[in-house]
Amino acid sequence: MSIQEQYRKKAAELLSSGEVKLVIGYGAGTTPDRRRPLFVRSADETSKLHLDAACEANLSGYLVTEGLLADRKKVGIFLGPEGIRSVNILASESQLDPDQIVIMGFNREAESVSALEGSNVRDFPAMLAALKEQAPGAGEQALVERIENMTPEERFTFWQAEFEKCIKCYACRQVCPMCYCRRCIVDNNQPQWVQTSSHTLGNFEWNLVRAFHLSGRCVECGGCDRACPVNIPLRLINRRMAMEVLDAYDHFSGMSPDQETVLASFKKDDPETFIL
Amino acid sequence: MIQILLRDKLDDCITRWHAAGYDVIGPQKNNNVTRFAPVEKASELDLEIILTDRTVKELFFPQTEPMFRYRIGKQAIDTEEYLPPGRKRIIFGSRPCDASAMAIDDPLFGWDFKDTYWFQRRNETVMVTIACTESDDFCMCTSLKLAPDSPLGSDIMLRPVAGGKGWHVELLSERGREAFDRIEALLDDSAAEKEPIANVPKRFDLDVCREWLADPENFESHFWKEISIRCIGCGTCTFLCPTCHCFDFQDEGDTYSGIRRKNWDSCSFALFTMHTSGHNPRSTQSSRWRQRIMHKFNYFPGKFSMNSCSGCGRCSRQCPVDMGITETLQEITKTAK
Repeated sequence: MSIQEQYRKKAAELLSSGEVKLVIGYGAGTTPDRRRPLFVRSADETSKLHLDAACEANLSGYLVTEGLLADRKKVGIFLGPEGIRSVNILASESQLDPDQIVIMGFNREAESVSALEGSNVRDFPAMLAALKEQAPGAGEQALVERIENMTPEERFTFWQAEFEKCIKCYACRQVCPMCYCRRCIVDNNQPQWVQTSSHTLGNFEWNLVRAFHLSGRCVECGGCDRACPVNIPLRLINRRMAMEVLDAYDHFSGMSPDQETVLASFKKDDPETFIL
Repeated sequence: MIQILLRDKLDDCITRWHAAGYDVIGPQKNNNVTRFAPVEKASELDLEIILTDRTVKELFFPQTEPMFRYRIGKQAIDTEEYLPPGRKRIIFGSRPCDASAMAIDDPLFGWDFKDTYWFQRRNETVMVTIACTESDDFCMCTSLKLAPDSPLGSDIMLRPVAGGKGWHVELLSERGREAFDRIEALLDDSAAEKEPIANVPKRFDLDVCREWLADPENFESHFWKEISIRCIGCGTCTFLCPTCHCFDFQDEGDTYSGIRRKNWDSCSFALFTMHTSGHNPRSTQSSRWRQRIMHKFNYFPGKFSMNSCSGCGRCSRQCPVDMGITETLQEITKTAK
């Protein structure tokens, strides 16, 4: 049985037994190469679920939709490794109860998908430990290094050209499971902390504010990068911050629901040499 | 006799237009995004792009535009107005959907208050549109009763000749004639065959949709929640839409001096309708998506007798979660029948 069939069946069982009230998965998209988020509430709709290498989106952001988990009922969800990591972070930041989430995990390879054993977010320690060992991912290393080797002026020019394209549609924020604030700082207009104008300064402000807020939290699902309608390589910023956090604190985000947040935890014995 | 503009004469055309004081702007791929930008020579143009990622809208209605600078002194308030640069320009290679969209927005920007910024730019621009001979899975102009060669909003229509050597020239306005007078000597007479225009399938029934939308019974329909459940509430569809025109005023600076700007805004954002009291009449994403559809296919046509959509399909093509106008109107067509 293909993993797609297996998970359709599992989703149907979960829904008909009443264990979950909803399954969030992937459905067919407008074109054959596209998949779109799909919300399934009854067993007879589960045949619409798809699972293949085109299922790229990290769906975990939908879990923090206002009110979704308030009734304490469970929700089933298709998640790749990045999705599992983001559920861990959402749990560690008290945004959801991980025991309300029934995971149908999968690993995406170039052409196919394979199942990840387990259904609770605590069931994947080995897989996550292996991910940490591999980090940072090799995929973009060349480009990251090229930017590293630039002079500060060259680097500024590079990002200036990229951010000049930004139209402040906030797709990067909206698609990001870690951007769950009910009211983002840029939407706060009394006072207006961050300029809303999409000029060079405003675009820099926005993208840098986001980079800082995601440091030690981003799971590198690439959602922002894929969502960006003007193709700004946003993953590079988050990758760089993730490398920094790994290097400085040996912190790889989303390892468990009990993991301490790297930049929001206080310890008495924290070295604070930079303050004194 | 039909006049033809040969592709290899484009450089000479650009030189002559520049000499006559026109800026020439065309589709280009730069830094992984396709958009309209000024060109010096023909080789900078990418005329094979079916539709640029970003629309020509930003050339008339920029994403952020300074309106005036203010300084509040002890005795007086100084203001200094900013106006568009005031240069003649030719947009070479826009597509019929983008050009139509500018004409669709004309009544909007002129019905009660004439928006100087918009009309000055409109009046100084010659739209040279290339009819589409290719389309993709998201193009939907025919569903909007437009076509891959709609003349709406264009000053010149160019129709590709077979073999890609050039275009048949069709003059549509006085402004277009004036610009092409400058290059008349470069045009050839030809009997070359035109390439057939793209075959864009009809994706939904607009009349059925409009009737359904106009029925007040459907305003509170559960349909809106279902169709928009995966909407993440970003502004991609509205900002990439050639007809979406909402804006916001922002004063940047402080109480004593600063700049007032006109910035794109989007009905997808929760903040768009947020009242000072904290009450938000469109508090859910489904009510925002409903507003977008209602505005385009119910309220706007009610006021201006045109749909606020030219069928470019960018809302679906570039949506991060594969939503868009096409899917919604297809589902309405099914529901209503």
